[in-house]
Amino acid sequence: MRLPRFDYLGPDTLDEALDLLATHREEAKILAGGTDLLVRMKKGLLTPKFLISLKALNELSYIKKENDCIKIGARTSIADIIASDLIQKQARALSQACEKIGAVTIQHYRGTIGGNILQNNRCHHYNQSDFHRSGRQACHKDGGKICYARDASDRCNSTCQSDGATALMALGAKIVLASKGHERTVDLANFYTTDGIMPFAIESYELLKEIIVPAEGGSSAYQRLAYRSAIDYPIVCAGVLLKLSASQKNIIDDARIVVGAMSRSPLFLAREASSLKGKKLTDTEAFKKAADASMNSAAAFAVHNVGATLEYRCVMVSEMVFRALKSAAQDAKA
Amino acid sequence: MDKIDISLNINDKPFEVRVAPNDTLLEVLRDQLDLTGSKESCGEGVCGSCTVHMDDKPVRSCLTLALEAQGCNIKTVEGLANGDDLSDLQQSFIDHGAVQCGFCTPGMLMSADALLKSNPSPNEETTRKALSGNICRCTGYAKIVEAVCHAANPHDRCPDCKTDNNSGE
Ligand SMILES: Cc1cc2nc3c(=O)[nH]c(=O)nc-3n(C[C@H](O)[C@H](O)[C@H](O)COP(=O)(O)OP(=O)(O)OC[C@H]3O[C@@H](n4cnc5c(N)ncnc54)[C@H](O)[C@@H]3O)c2cc1C
Ligand code: SF4
Ligand code: FES
Ligand code: FES
Repeated sequence: MRLPRFDYLGPDTLDEALDLLATHREEAKILAGGTDLLVRMKKGLLTPKFLISLKALNELSYIKKENDCIKIGARTSIADIIASDLIQKQARALSQACEKIGAVTIQHYRGTIGGNILQNNRCHHYNQSDFHRSGRQACHKDGGKICYARDASDRCNSTCQSDGATALMALGAKIVLASKGHERTVDLANFYTTDGIMPFAIESYELLKEIIVPAEGGSSAYQRLAYRSAIDYPIVCAGVLLKLSASQKNIIDDARIVVGAMSRSPLFLAREASSLKGKKLTDTEAFKKAADASMNSAAAFAVHNVGATLEYRCVMVSEMVFRALKSAAQDAKA
Repeated sequence: MDKIDISLNINDKPFEVRVAPNDTLLEVLRDQLDLTGSKESCGEGVCGSCTVHMDDKPVRSCLTLALEAQGCNIKTVEGLANGDDLSDLQQSFIDHGAVQCGFCTPGMLMSADALLKSNPSPNEETTRKALSGNICRCTGYAKIVEAVCHAANPHDRCPDCKTDNNSGE
């Protein structure tokens, strides 16, 4: 399969990259590992005029601890994240999620965490070859006016299948977006739009520079379901974070539950998680209740567009959340 | 979109090639350099038949731009043997009957070779994980996994295998 034509730009510094982005804007795309972008380009889903490569920008590849945060450069490879003791110990859900991404030989060395967050949403009706798509009317994401996944939908319901983003949102991560002469920090939970055509609230001239993961204690876990244990994207996943009360170590003081692969973005379920406040780490009944509530909320968003029946995926939301909560609780006790 | 002259270091030899920005490493290997060991099957990162090493790490050459492969050491399946002397791993694939149609084999070998560099006698679980990004339609994987786990045995029949894999010969 041939790639469409483009011009390749290889900036040597971040400033140069931001200059190029400011000049070319919509006509340019950032190339990190390429394991998402190049596949979409081969399918003719986008044809950028310029690719701006991050290859020379070693300054965007790091994992470091600063105060109570772990800072990760956007170009850090999935393999480096898996290998990091710091992340393994203080942001376990991210480590577990990265291990599950695709397969060792696809992403782990070339794929990056920035590209993982910004990989485009997916849908069985859309992520197909030019030939396949040419046989039918274009859907919203393809420039048309219909949606094959949900009847009469006025917008695109493509699914965010990023393992990394789901885990990071559970950990309460923030991201730093840089543009020429400017930088802003956004909570990852507020980074998504409500339309799958352009799922991210990022400008064409902005570059994802850094991911900031709070590491103030707490225990996290990630669980996912996919057809095969490797290569395949998740069809349901869940990341959770449990924080313990300072005075009573076996009591949950605060919890976060995020369900992924069920909607246009990972779903941050604050209300469902708040039911765990004040509960004991051993209270599996409470976990079950929170997991079922998560299932009910997530079910409202999901459409049948990433494989397996919707009914099965919905039931498995509860299971994934439950397993993640149990695993986080176990980790907290240890 | 002008073509660009670049130099690629493949199997410890420098190659001068003229590439377009949208040429993948796989296309340059196969179409320009006649290194047709690496196969294109899916072309979209799923199957692993195009796996090569970049600086000792297994990667998909169908999802790597030739331009991005500059400056690193590329190894393809052609670089495993020393002349006509097959590597232990290659011999083990033959001894264990791990090759049927052979289309996945170059990719399997490259994923396995990278694993053996860090772990010369891996167990089954580690091997399966390292090969999890490579799809084979023919063998059912069992013989491939055996071949990799026992690659350190320089024998034509593997003493570690309880069943005689070559009995069909
Ligand atoms: C067979 C296969 C299986 C896969 N399985 C999984 C899976 O299980 N889970 C999963 O989460 N993903 C999966 N992926 C998707 C993808 O490989 C990973 O998400 C990977 O981490 C993407 O990183 P990358 O660096 O290769 O991204 P790229 O392809 O380089 O970039 C992805 C997108 O992000 C943009 N981008 C990248 N970096 C930046 C930046 N710093 N600033 C602004 N924009 C940027 C690019 O322009 C592009 O639009 C799979 C892909 C394939 C081909
Ligand atoms: S969810 Fe609907 S609009 Fe979006 S890609 Fe799928 S079919 Fe197209
Ligand atoms: S041809 Fe590259 S992964 Fe299938
Ligand atoms: S031997 Fe035929 S695909 Fe593996």
